[in-house]
Amino acid sequence: MQAMYIRVKRNKTTYFIQCDPTETILQLKEKLYNLIDQPVNDQRLILMLVGDVLEDSKSLADQKIENDAVVALALRKDDNQFEDVNIVKPNDFYQPRDSEGGANW
Amino acid sequence: MKKEDTVKLISAEGFEFIIDKKAAMVSQTIRNMLTSPGSFAETEHGEVTFPEISTTILEKICQYFYWSLQYASGKETEFHIEPEITLELMMAANYLHT
Repeated sequence: MQAMYIRVKRNKTTYFIQCDPTETILQLKEKLYNLIDQPVNDQRLILMLVGDVLEDSKSLADQKIENDAVVALALRKDDNQFEDVNIVKPNDFYQPRDSEGGANW
Repeated sequence: MKKEDTVKLISAEGFEFIIDKKAAMVSQTIRNMLTSPGSFAETEHGEVTFPEISTTILEKICQYFYWSLQYASGKETEFHIEPEITLELMMAANYLHT
């Protein structure tokens, strides 16, 4: 068991990743590579609390990433740009049944 | 961290949580699914769907798994639970034997 974990989110998926404060962002991306098969160069991580893009060479502690922190994952698109951060929250599409327009089906 | 050492838990709304197998096994119910010989489709794919557990609750449960492991290894922190989810969380915990 490592000292902490963070939650890496993209769209409707959350990865719980165990890590240590001394680890670098690059090491974190390598762990993600094992899970999602996306090369580290095609990954961009953003600390949600402050909105900062995390730098590969810095450690988690350097960038004030704490236990249970939420980090957004953006991947490189075909046009070489990074996609926008997109984290779907459950409430975004959990519509109450009696709401207007909810009877489309 | 290898893919084979993780499991995917899927909520009622189809949200996915990828967590360490070790963490998931804090739940006796999930442990049984993952370790029973053969039969369970869950064992082969490392995926478990919970059609009755909402996303908010399932995420809280995953956080609890990790908290539980950290606590067991000597880190004494509190586990915060928002009052409004208490009942639903307890029902899920009961189902998961957690």
